[in-house]
Amino acid sequence: MKLFVPSPGHISSLKTLLEARDRIYSIFMAGSPDYIGTGRSNLASPQLEDIAAQTEYAHRHGVRVEMVLNSSCMGGRQLTPEGFRINHWYIERLVDIGVDSIVVADPYLVETIARDFDIDVVVSVLAFVDSPQKAEFYENLGASSIVIDSNVNRHFDVLHAIRDSVDCELKLLVNEGCLYRCPFRYAHFNFFSHAFGPEPRPNVLDDYYYYKCLELRIVNPELIIKSPWIRPEDIRQYRDITDVYKIGGRTHFVDWILNCTNAYHNESYEGNLMDLLDCPKDLKDLFYIPNKSLDGVIEQWKSCKKVCKRCGYCKVLTKKITQVYIKGGTESETLAPWETLSVRT
Amino acid sequence: MGNSIGENMITEELLKNRSGFEEKIRKLVGRPVLLIELDMFALPCGCAGITANTRGLEVDDLDVFEPQLLPYLKEMASNLGVKPSVVFARLVPGSSIVASLNWRVLCSRCYPEFARGEGKTPRPDLYLLQFEKRK
Repeated sequence: MKLFVPSPGHISSLKTLLEARDRIYSIFMAGSPDYIGTGRSNLASPQLEDIAAQTEYAHRHGVRVEMVLNSSCMGGRQLTPEGFRINHWYIERLVDIGVDSIVVADPYLVETIARDFDIDVVVSVLAFVDSPQKAEFYENLGASSIVIDSNVNRHFDVLHAIRDSVDCELKLLVNEGCLYRCPFRYAHFNFFSHAFGPEPRPNVLDDYYYYKCLELRIVNPELIIKSPWIRPEDIRQYRDITDVYKIGGRTHFVDWILNCTNAYHNESYEGNLMDLLDCPKDLKDLFYIPNKSLDGVIEQWKSCKKVCKRCGYCKVLTKKITQVYIKGGTESETLAPWETLSVRT
Repeated sequence: MGNSIGENMITEELLKNRSGFEEKIRKLVGRPVLLIELDMFALPCGCAGITANTRGLEVDDLDVFEPQLLPYLKEMASNLGVKPSVVFARLVPGSSIVASLNWRVLCSRCYPEFARGEGKTPRPDLYLLQFEKRK
């Protein structure tokens, strides 16, 4: 198994993270927002010298380094002469530093990096590769690896069709807890791309998409169960598709990242499923979903037709296993079935 | 235990009030609303008070349950020794989202900003639950 593990972006967290280097194939992190930016929030904005130091450290410990430049919207700047020059300059520096791979979401960047540089180009999950046709397109453009759109993580027919259509490496993002077929997905990642990309950055007080996402799940935690995460125990079901897995979560503490790394490395986790999900992390203090209570559920999902109104399997499952923290943070903290606290589903 | 801002207020009291208030709102609206953070604050202008960041609370809940909610808001203020001149919800404008509930002791500079506004929403992101106009 090759595990790609998030790094918050500074050398001190990397040093702690690589105490588990025997379980980590590659770390990945964002670069400076002043160039291409990324489609997710970041804690650090490492400059080139920081990236060089971290790359040297990781390589010395036998771990690869992947830079994530997966902005889903650059406002067209990438197509201007100035944008092209700046982006090219930045990628050239990353190649000189010796990073092993670069993740991008824009097809134009996939093509230009594959054509002009000697480095592995990875198609981001934010390129939404959810069909064999898209996978073939990116492979022909020069991609050496594709992170498959997590929306199809439980569509085994699609995953097999993609595997049969391309020769390049395929990666699965295992612990993204985003809404299945999330209606906010494009708008939210575009917002992040500007908020964590070059100036001018929007000065936003509240992230509507995130708050709304949380609201929907608080009202109906079935939406958490239906998110396309892959449990550590279920990794083995994907072996004939790939053995390369990516753990999301570069805004978390290293302790959290290591907990996830161990869970996926061991292919087992005793505890709250919410501990493993990168997003929505705020709800881990609200819901308790025993991971082991989901043993075997993947057999249902493997043949799921995704017509929830007719099926109702996840609805029943949610009622059966979801618990809510009561009096959280106090000595009287306890758990109660979610159903007892909800009057509407 | 003190009963005014900054006097012997201990973290256990905040924890107890966070969970107690959360439990009451959950029972009121019928779903497990999350009170994600309860803070006491002081601003450089002179305002001070309490903020409860909420997730899963909606504007409709304020409309429907305001009479039942008000005693809980008063109880929270009293428990933490705050005598607010205004209690308001902060909304994400144009949406159903209530981002936070706020109990604020207004300073003389900020008071007119609230006093001059009309109705429940003097600003698109504010929903007034209680406001004591000075005489």
